[in-house]
Amino acid sequence: MAANYWASTQRRHWLFSRERLADIREKLREQDKVSHSQFPLPDQRLLNIYCNQQLIKLGKRMSTRQQAIATAQVYLKRFYTKNEIRQTNPYLVLTTAFYLACKMEECPQHIRFVVGEARGLWPEFITPDVAKLGECEFALISEMSSQLIVHHPYRTLTELQDELPLSSDEVALAWSVINDHYLTDLPLLHPPHVIAIMAIIISVVFKPAHSSNFGGSAQSTLSGAMRDGSGMNMLAALSDKTGHGPPRIQKLVLWLAESEVDIKAVIECTQELLSLYEVWEQYSEKNCKELIGRMVKTKNLDK
Amino acid sequence: MSLTNPPSSGSLSTRTKTVGPSLKRNLQATVDETVDSRKTTGYTSKVRVRDRYHVVGFISSGTYGRVYKAVGKNGKKGEFAIKKFKPDKEGESIQYTGLSQSAIREMSLCTELSHANVVQLEEIILEDKCIFMVFEYTEHDLLQIIHHHTQPQRHAIQAHMVRSILFQLLNGLLYLHTNWVLHRDLKPANILVTSSGAIRIGDLGLARLFYKPLNSLFSGDKVVVTIWYRAPELLLGSRHYTPAVDMWALGCIFAELLSLRPIFKGEEAKMDSKKTVPFQRNQMMKIVEILGLPRKETWPGLVSMPEYTQLQSLVMHRQPNHYHRGANLEGWYQSCLKNGGYSATSSVGTPGADGFDLLSRMLEYDPTKRITAQEALEHPYFANGGPISANCFEGIESKYPHRRVTQEDNDIRTGSLPGTKRSGLPDDSLMRASKRLKE
Repeated sequence: MAANYWASTQRRHWLFSRERLADIREKLREQDKVSHSQFPLPDQRLLNIYCNQQLIKLGKRMSTRQQAIATAQVYLKRFYTKNEIRQTNPYLVLTTAFYLACKMEECPQHIRFVVGEARGLWPEFITPDVAKLGECEFALISEMSSQLIVHHPYRTLTELQDELPLSSDEVALAWSVINDHYLTDLPLLHPPHVIAIMAIIISVVFKPAHSSNFGGSAQSTLSGAMRDGSGMNMLAALSDKTGHGPPRIQKLVLWLAESEVDIKAVIECTQELLSLYEVWEQYSEKNCKELIGRMVKTKNLDK
Repeated sequence: MSLTNPPSSGSLSTRTKTVGPSLKRNLQATVDETVDSRKTTGYTSKVRVRDRYHVVGFISSGTYGRVYKAVGKNGKKGEFAIKKFKPDKEGESIQYTGLSQSAIREMSLCTELSHANVVQLEEIILEDKCIFMVFEYTEHDLLQIIHHHTQPQRHAIQAHMVRSILFQLLNGLLYLHTNWVLHRDLKPANILVTSSGAIRIGDLGLARLFYKPLNSLFSGDKVVVTIWYRAPELLLGSRHYTPAVDMWALGCIFAELLSLRPIFKGEEAKMDSKKTVPFQRNQMMKIVEILGLPRKETWPGLVSMPEYTQLQSLVMHRQPNHYHRGANLEGWYQSCLKNGGYSATSSVGTPGADGFDLLSRMLEYDPTKRITAQEALEHPYFANGGPISANCFEGIESKYPHRRVTQEDNDIRTGSLPGTKRSGLPDDSLMRASKRLKE
């Protein structure tokens, strides 16, 4: 149910195993081999970075809250487990996901305003006809079986903030890590509380020497720290309950042991995030934009 | 069934027309329309309403659209109520205009919710620019049951039936509240009753989650809850409200089940041209006439209510003692029991002193002191007096009339009862409000 993750549609219908997710994507590819060879697209995570940046651009112009952007990102992921991206106009889909997420997260924007702003950003791909977005909204809701309530890790983070307790720097860094996890498949693979704990551990273990300006992504802060290895060793120590390392970490290890959180899942999430920061180095906005643009224009997907 | 708008009392007595084949075809057409104009590109539903359901009649309509009765088709068994949301502009060419926030809320909440005392969703079909929400069919609702008890003359609802109804209602509401859902439009027309006496809280069109909302609840919907069931903190303009608003409405429903009349039957002040929310003076007065004036000694938050000065002016215009004389809930309750023939020795039984205590706690002015659903379920009114049946009709001899299902599709029963504005998107709600004013 809405407040109870365990009974939620998110857990019952939108939580996949890695194998299942790979299988779904392979089936989508099988169904449209021609498009796949004709229109190669960058790594899914790079595409996600691109889409997220577009969502943030769209959101900024309407001063939308982070949670609505996060919900929109989850909608995109869900939608593309049912539809091949090469048969859609990603700009229209992401604008629609944004429009729907704003309504769902109780910060609604008028459809004309959303279309107007989207046209301002991507005039070649968004038509002025609001009916296009309205139609896409039907497709989105239908593919998601009207299961629109999304549970986010932000809530767990806020709840644990006082219990642990966490410093404001740590909360800010954990918050950014949660923002970043939407760029991976993690929202489809793990429950939100596992993600939140992963973010907390990262923020405590890899705590940067100087607090920088967080808020958005933690990539610049963390990619270096995670690569130097010492943090990863500490992370490995998490499953070792004998407890080494600084007292702050030991305390966290103790808390984790008592909370019975799936440590293996948490470590897996951390690795996923690390690999995101690695792949991020190759990110080129220009490349994504060109590949998507060529695909949409050649296939007339914007019509 | 009246999923949103209560039918007017007049239409209940309207004679049902004979079923003609041509009318039948028109009804079925409500789910078939624009099928031929379906394009090969764009969105098409994978599931078709007409492949799964056969529409047998029309139930009610409101600003959201219409509700039809249907039976399952092609092996699908059972009766259903299909709520069809119309796009804003009706006419020859229906366009996608974006779904209302109200529809989005109802769809997402109903999909997620599952409880014996909350209306059960069968499925949602998005087809031909319309939304079809398919619910289980319920034969009755509380409005219709209360109405039945005023015909041909008033006869009270059995005390144990009232107790079962209220218990089930509280159970459903506790489920909603523990899941951070505020209903915000509880009234007899929205309380559905199955033929086997199970209570289902219906119409979640105004419901929403209240767990740390991004915007305050007030900024989203300025006006919530149908006027007669609106809590005093809402009438006094409170920006922050809680599940207590639903408990107030339930208190009003409890009182109405016993007296067969709305307890606070005020007149709604309409929004002015500047779209400012007016102070509901008349409604507030109706409450004060029975409960007495709220006092800051017993409701400390009262003085910080935006409309506090309005409340004071309400006192100024009357003789000082006007509201204190005879203004007490106990007096109202006792005369209600007397008029209804409720007593321990009569056949209808009595809710007794426990019933009064519970009612007075539900109609507590201070929302922070008002009884919660959880506390109410543990109240002596339920603890004492034996088991409570999950079938509110248990032991009831008389049969309630079936829901009126007509063959007319154009029967717009806006009714004489007040409704609730379905806002969400600021601009579209205002447009609808002005439309309504013109009508």
